[in-house]
Amino acid sequence: MSFLIAQSLINGVILGTLYLLMAIGFTLAFGVMRIVNFAHGEFYMIGAFCALIGVTWLGLPYPVTLALTIVFAILMGAVVERLVFRPFRNDELSGMIASLGLAMILQHGALILFGPDPQAFPAMVTGVFKWGALIVPKSRALALGIGIVILLIFYLFLMHTRHGRALRALVQDQEVAAVFGVRLEIMYPLGLGLGIALAAVAGGLMAPLFGVSPFIGATPLLKAFIVVILGGLGSIPGAALAAILLGLIESFTSSFISASAADIVTFALVIGVLLVRPAGLLGRAEA
Amino acid sequence: MRSDLSVRNLVVNYGPVRALHGVSFDVPEGQVAALVGSNGAGKSTVLKSICGLLKPVEGEIRVGDELLQPRPGDPLRHGVALSPEGRRLFGQLSVEENLIMGSYAVRDKAARREMMDRVYGYFPRLKERRRQMAGSLSGGEQQMCAIGRALMALPRVLLLDEPSLGIAPIIVAELAVIIEEISRDMSMTVLLVEQNAQMALSIAATGVVLETGSVVLTGTGRELLESPEVRAAYLGT
Ligand SMILES: Nc1ncnc2c1ncn2[C@@H]1O[C@H](COP(=O)(O)OP(=O)(O)OP(=O)(O)O)[C@@H](O)[C@H]1O
Ligand SMILES: [Mg+2]
Repeated sequence: MSFLIAQSLINGVILGTLYLLMAIGFTLAFGVMRIVNFAHGEFYMIGAFCALIGVTWLGLPYPVTLALTIVFAILMGAVVERLVFRPFRNDELSGMIASLGLAMILQHGALILFGPDPQAFPAMVTGVFKWGALIVPKSRALALGIGIVILLIFYLFLMHTRHGRALRALVQDQEVAAVFGVRLEIMYPLGLGLGIALAAVAGGLMAPLFGVSPFIGATPLLKAFIVVILGGLGSIPGAALAAILLGLIESFTSSFISASAADIVTFALVIGVLLVRPAGLLGRAEA
Repeated sequence: MRSDLSVRNLVVNYGPVRALHGVSFDVPEGQVAALVGSNGAGKSTVLKSICGLLKPVEGEIRVGDELLQPRPGDPLRHGVALSPEGRRLFGQLSVEENLIMGSYAVRDKAARREMMDRVYGYFPRLKERRRQMAGSLSGGEQQMCAIGRALMALPRVLLLDEPSLGIAPIIVAELAVIIEEISRDMSMTVLLVEQNAQMALSIAATGVVLETGSVVLTGTGRELLESPEVRAAYLGT
């Protein structure tokens, strides 16, 4: 029994890390630009394909591939901000529709390029870690480890650098931030690019575990959406709390009840939280 | 006396509605000037135009001899900093981070540190609470933080929009003394916008009275305090 608990705990943390990687970019795009980015999941998909191309076609080492994926995704974010989102800044509805269009373009683009079939991703590491009855496949441990390191780096950037602080200030009050010299035309692409890079790297990390296809973006987008609503739209601490919570709940319900019960429990929880706290766990009332 | 901030024939619209009908006034260098007027007179509109948040239809704003461009960031470069109406702190950032954001555009590290020490000198309570989230401060403390944040931009011209708003009278009196001190210590030009005409005019060297988007009176702080029109309209005596 206790080993089942420990096992669920570890799986929950892995899921939570994935969800958080997805949710941060989603919430940042909303907090900074007031855009609900429905194309966010497609960047997860693109990240997974980048990793596949890097590792199998180009034969690059996995860490190098991930680093290149991040760079590529930041640049793509900056371009997308310029071409797709800039005309709809602070116009939530039109921005949302534009993001739906972008999602379709990206998904169908991937379909044309790679076809609909799932592609196998070679294992990056094999074997398991074993502590008594507790078993963690090394492939999962690797994804978790890299994910946590990336989240930590991003946290340090956000909390302790000039640009990170400016991004957080922008989430709070754009006009005042601009009066003090924060340049929106730089911070918008930066914020969107970093968020997209986190989604892409999540795709690259999960590709060895779950495989790659043009359709894999849908579930992570849904999870990011749940996490962000649960944590409070635009709130990064809220997203962190909600991501871990969601990961643990899913993993415990699938261990102790069933996998299909996990979704039911999750949505019951979301509805419950929103009834009690309409702005989410750590959301601001007006957001 | 040299004028540090000059507003000439400022006309500003909100959509089809005209909020300012050609406002002109001067703020002398290194002193406190008050801009008073009742609700909706257009005081905040004047300040927002000065710091580039609103695009005037007509008119010009100068700091010294420099013409300000109507976009946020340009007035800052010429030394204009704002403590906005309602404080508008970055609520989820700490007090100290709010101050640091104030000097976002200031490159000189030593000058930044020196100003932060000064701000903590004027407002010791901010220093005690510097790790606390700005959103959790009391109204008076938030106002201190907003003034401190504006000071951190090392301004030549400091714009304060209704620092007395929603604050206990005893704290308002305290703030008035400190605003006077700030201007004196650093020879800083301060434009103090207030509905609380008594408070503003008593510390101001000069004053401007705004009514429905036009300047109706100007004079020294004392003249305005004693003028029958001001007493009747704003001081209730
Ligand atoms: N964003 C806006 N859109 C439309 N009209 C506005 C807007 N902001 C202000 N106004 C109008 O412009 C006029 C001047 O407003 P302003 O905020 O400058 O007044 P104020 O003197 O600062 O008043 P208060 O003392 O209440 O702060 C008012 O009639 C107000 O209704
Ligand atoms: Mg006002």
